[in-house]
Amino acid sequence: MPPAFLLSLPVLVAGALVSVAWRSNRASAVAAILSQAMACVLVLISVVPALRGGQALHLSWDWPPPIERVVFEVDALGAFFLAWSLPLTLLGTIYAVGYLRPYLDRGRRAGSHFALLNVLSVSFVLIYSVQNPLVFLLGWELAAVAAWLLVIWDYESQRIRFAGFNYLVSTHVGLFVLVAAFMLLHSNTGSMDFAAFSAFLRRPSQLRGTIFLLLGVAFGLKSAFFPFHTWLPRAHAAAPAHVSALMSGVIHKAGLFAFLRFTLLIGRPEEWMGWSVLAFGALSAFFGVLYTSTQRDLKRLLGYSSTENVGIAAMSFGVGYLGWTWGAPTLVACGFAGGLLHLLNHAVFKCLLFYAAGSVYRATHTVDLERLGGLAKRLPLTAALFLLGGLAISALPPFNGFVSELVIYSGLLSGSAPTRQGNMVLVAAAAGLAFVGAVSAFSTSRAFGIGFLGAPRDETVVVTTEADATMHLPMVLHAFGILVLGVAPAAGLWLVAPAVALFPTNGAASSVLEPLAPAIVANRVLAVLLALAVGVAWMRRRAARLSVTWGCGYTAPSPRMQYTASSVSEQLARLFDAFMPALRRERLPLEIFPAEPGRLATHHPDAVERRMFEVLDQAEDVVVQASARIPEQPRFAFAAGLLVLLVIGILIFGAGR
Amino acid sequence: MIRYLAHLVAFLVMPFVLIGIMNRTKSLWSGRKGPPLLQSAWDVLRLFRKSPVYSRVTTPIFQLAPLVGLVTAAAAALVVPIFGSASLLGFRLDFVWMAYLWGLGRVALVLAAFDTGSSFGGMGAAREATFSTLVEPTLFLILGTLTLVTGKQRLHEVLAVPLTDGSAVAVWTLSVVALLIVLQVEASRMPVDDPTTHLELTMIHEVMVLDHSGPDLGLIQLGAGLRFFTGSAMVATLLNPGRGTSGWLTAAVNLALCVLIAVGVGTLESLIARFKLRAVPQYIAVAMAAATVALLATAWRAVEAR
Repeated sequence: MPPAFLLSLPVLVAGALVSVAWRSNRASAVAAILSQAMACVLVLISVVPALRGGQALHLSWDWPPPIERVVFEVDALGAFFLAWSLPLTLLGTIYAVGYLRPYLDRGRRAGSHFALLNVLSVSFVLIYSVQNPLVFLLGWELAAVAAWLLVIWDYESQRIRFAGFNYLVSTHVGLFVLVAAFMLLHSNTGSMDFAAFSAFLRRPSQLRGTIFLLLGVAFGLKSAFFPFHTWLPRAHAAAPAHVSALMSGVIHKAGLFAFLRFTLLIGRPEEWMGWSVLAFGALSAFFGVLYTSTQRDLKRLLGYSSTENVGIAAMSFGVGYLGWTWGAPTLVACGFAGGLLHLLNHAVFKCLLFYAAGSVYRATHTVDLERLGGLAKRLPLTAALFLLGGLAISALPPFNGFVSELVIYSGLLSGSAPTRQGNMVLVAAAAGLAFVGAVSAFSTSRAFGIGFLGAPRDETVVVTTEADATMHLPMVLHAFGILVLGVAPAAGLWLVAPAVALFPTNGAASSVLEPLAPAIVANRVLAVLLALAVGVAWMRRRAARLSVTWGCGYTAPSPRMQYTASSVSEQLARLFDAFMPALRRERLPLEIFPAEPGRLATHHPDAVERRMFEVLDQAEDVVVQASARIPEQPRFAFAAGLLVLLVIGILIFGAGR
Repeated sequence: MIRYLAHLVAFLVMPFVLIGIMNRTKSLWSGRKGPPLLQSAWDVLRLFRKSPVYSRVTTPIFQLAPLVGLVTAAAAALVVPIFGSASLLGFRLDFVWMAYLWGLGRVALVLAAFDTGSSFGGMGAAREATFSTLVEPTLFLILGTLTLVTGKQRLHEVLAVPLTDGSAVAVWTLSVVALLIVLQVEASRMPVDDPTTHLELTMIHEVMVLDHSGPDLGLIQLGAGLRFFTGSAMVATLLNPGRGTSGWLTAAVNLALCVLIAVGVGTLESLIARFKLRAVPQYIAVAMAAATVALLATAWRAVEAR
């Protein structure tokens, strides 16, 4: 292994120390950015061979007992994650300089904040390369604590301290489960090395399934899968924009990385594992996207959408798992390539969306959709970039989100499961993905339409000027990434293919996009046509007469009469009432000429979190109530339901006999 | 060459013909003579000669949306087998591309509606986006089921489903039903939406484009017409006995079936009133249930695809 790779660690640490020690904020920022840039270069040049399908980097040295041997090994999987994690963290650090400026101007010291951003990079270098569980846990814990400290930047506010604490507790519950899994493995292998774990995990044993579940829970908590996502919306709403962006786009991806790393260690999975990954992912995508549709806090909305997107990626990994079990190389290639590509795409557009939200916050001091409106006129660049990110996250062509979802669809709709039931479930999952895409488009339209379009809704919101260049630069680069990965997905696939080749694809890894090549060409043509449309609209922009919005003859409209964010989502929320309970507080006007004004407030709390607190509060009551709820005499609806289930069951299991 | 020309002519003429036939059917049912068949084409031409009026609240997105709507509708039309056999452009999973293109066009119009700052626009946009969340999975269920039955992945091959056994017949029947409902929702026809009423509180698509005028409105009508034509051509291909085989007869039958569907839609609009808004999701749920049963029916097929 070239020493360059490990040299990045002292560089980052030195940068962090300088950041903390130096008295000037400017010098701290420069130290952090310079050291991260150097680390990026060092890491990138040393992972390139692994990305080009060459030999994995390998280095080991011996330590005294509890740690034993420490092996650093960057295989194609680690190289893929390293290749974008560090540069995106660097962009986040650059953004932070602009975003934190109002605080710094008031004399706040930000040295430790910049140092913590360096610590994040350190943790990535450790997590993505080390083959020793103890050092892995060290990196894992570094990332968790650094993220917590970064979240509570505004620590004076009780709400933000609570959000940070909530995150800290959740992430340590995950750590607890992870340590349990590692202890089980250590006690069975007597070793602290992933290679030894792998030798044990590949043998069929009862513990294999248990460890798979433990790891699934631990990594699910890290990546904020439903129902382990409860800490996420709070943390994202509380953290500074760049921290939210890095947590959602980069840090949480470590959970999925670790999941894939252990997938490789476990070897050929059993069929139930694949189905459970698929189901777990589908559940996350479904609930995550539903919750995005009702949020009024823009950053909470984006937070839920991370749960959705990791769910989509996990659905894809589930397909890859199943393909592995069934010995279907197409499914393996499509599943893992689609999922990995989606992770990369998500990192690119989600960071952009959070940065744009941060830019809105900088200009207006609020991210409450009900108070915003008309921002497209005041913050045109931010609005355009947010729209671009929103279209990409809704998987609309010709942007990058579409490409990865197309690869995932090509796995789900390939019909290459060995059984008909398997194929049926995969098609149903494709329909679920279509639902997720449509709701995501709904949420994007709602967030952009209410926040950036129309007239300003609240005159107490003062809009200052656009953000400065240090904030725009990372955003523009991310937007560029969205376009490149959308019209030239070969770039993304070049990063993904070596990692996919680690799975048993029979050499099909690089040819995933080949059958989809015409779709890519079609996407390019579409991109050109859309660019032309933008050009035409630009040329025509002055030719027209201006007037007021048509109000059916009503001559005194006010901005308060516009459709609100909650009225947009009202119908959808009612359709999915069962999953999104609404809290309503209302006082309707009474007489014909009401003396007192009426009022209505609706709120969609997180169902899981409410339930969790309720259950913790009254666990015993719940059991009593549940047993009381079983009807003594089955009613008609109950019987009818049973009948329907029976018919579906017969259809599914009786088929083909 | 002739194939391309024929497609071009069909894309340019059929949308107006179908709208004319629907309007003629409705006027005949109500005892009127009705406008000329190509009236909607003249309407669009007239709109193109006018100059637009924009609200002061709007941004360039408002002017961009009609163009995007038309571009996406036209691009999506390329993969639809309007003549019942091969489409102009066919590639693996082209129907995913088509569905997402329709989604992009929809998002553009929805954003344009929000852009006016009008509560009417917001209302229509919210309804359109909400119903689309139910229509999209239904469409994927139908087409995904058909990929299982045919073992193919291009839209024109998928729609040319052979009726080899009872299971295929069941899938085919249910797909026709579900696709017809999807067509009604996508094209904003009765009983989902009423394209003629001007009572804003009850409308979906019309209220969303209330503020567009002149050439912009013309573009939107073009796009909507094209979407209706391509949607009905998909149903027509499913119904076409000669589907999958190229030839003038198949093409003629397909266009005739499109006309028949337009007559059917016009008749339906004359005979029943539009549903309450609350009933619309239930109506789409019928389509979804049909598609789900079709998916379950694939387990019973006698011959394996491929």
